[in-house]
Amino acid sequence: MMKPVYILSASAISPQHTFDREQFLQPVMSSDNGKLYVVEADYRQYVNPVAIRRMSKVIKMGISTAMNALQQAGISCPDAIITGTGMGSMLDMERFLKDMIELKEEALNPTYFIQSTYNSINGWIALQTKCNGYNQTFVHRGLSLELSLLDAQLFLTEAEEKQTVLAGCFDEMTEEYFFIKNKIDYWKKEIPNSLDLIRHSNTKGTIGGEGAAFFTLTNERGNAICAIKEIKTFQDAELSEVQSGIHELLQAHHLNPNDIDVLLCGMNGDCRQQAVYDMALQEVPTPTVTTFKQLTGEYATASGFAVWLASEMIRTQQVPETITYRKSNTEAIKNILILNHYITGSTSLILISQA
Amino acid sequence: MEDLKVKLKEQIIEALNLQGMTPADIDDNAPLFGEGLGLDSIDSLEMMVLLERNYGIKIEDAREGRKVLESVQSMAEYIQQHRKI
Repeated sequence: MMKPVYILSASAISPQHTFDREQFLQPVMSSDNGKLYVVEADYRQYVNPVAIRRMSKVIKMGISTAMNALQQAGISCPDAIITGTGMGSMLDMERFLKDMIELKEEALNPTYFIQSTYNSINGWIALQTKCNGYNQTFVHRGLSLELSLLDAQLFLTEAEEKQTVLAGCFDEMTEEYFFIKNKIDYWKKEIPNSLDLIRHSNTKGTIGGEGAAFFTLTNERGNAICAIKEIKTFQDAELSEVQSGIHELLQAHHLNPNDIDVLLCGMNGDCRQQAVYDMALQEVPTPTVTTFKQLTGEYATASGFAVWLASEMIRTQQVPETITYRKSNTEAIKNILILNHYITGSTSLILISQA
Repeated sequence: MEDLKVKLKEQIIEALNLQGMTPADIDDNAPLFGEGLGLDSIDSLEMMVLLERNYGIKIEDAREGRKVLESVQSMAEYIQQHRKI
């Protein structure tokens, strides 16, 4: 078993007011059109002003959350930068591909090409922080964030002295992406208000979303907010495999199902993806169950928002009303189990505990 | 020539996304790189694409390119002599 990694700071840009952190998930944002776009931040505070003019939204989101997480932790240059993204900079990729067609592959803009690459954000962060260390971007659809956290855990477990890793994820939604995915039934035909999403789990489809989340991780407890104890990933798994995975995870950490104070589920209102959550609700009979995709919409790295949310719940010892699926008066929030499933067949379990 | 310079400035502002700038903010003879507009190497590539797309001009010699991209004035003069569109 790998050692836990400690979260020193967490930052998120999401369709909710998560970046300014004045009030925990207040005011709540919603939408009626099946799409949840991020509440944008004042990027100029975090991004090189000369370079910002040519950046697309996801790049500004990624760099700003990364720099904000580092600032909160009081770290100017991490030892490694490890990120995950399902789709990378979609907008730049779309522009580049359209130009290729329209201009018959001639006189193509270099900026769109450079920024369409998945590791573009990591490059920008490395330039801004002058970080020459390990730099990696994982692109594995619904497990991209999880694999970046696993790699960070490996990096920090192998380190012989105190090290810090900046880990995070980012994904954006474009009109084109929404249109294409609609053709393969990703989205709900009858669109509910986003806040009612979970109540519509008897029909196919979900709503689209986007966001970025970054974490400063380290291998020494110090003044950490919380710890990531374990990350388990499954691809195209049978329900019984995930079920066994939950038991193995709890056993490995000497926990009973009752020791999980909050179960944080990635339910997205899609009846085709509900079974894994129904199973977990039986296996982990915790009185407090929460959901988050009514706030973020669905995207490949939505679990990054869940990790941010878990760290905030432990930091503030609060469970906001807006994420409550089932609630009782939990005395203290010590252990949170995140369960997330993505439409491409990936499932993940992340155990977050008090440091 | 004056019309060409104004149009060129508009194209530069759009291609490089120089937010908040107007053609009047760009001096004809001010250096585009370094002190002047503070553009960088990626911008120089964008300007080469701009010349190719809008005027059919392909500059393959880097030294020549550096001279052409010195200022709006030098760009406009080069365009006048070599444009194909």
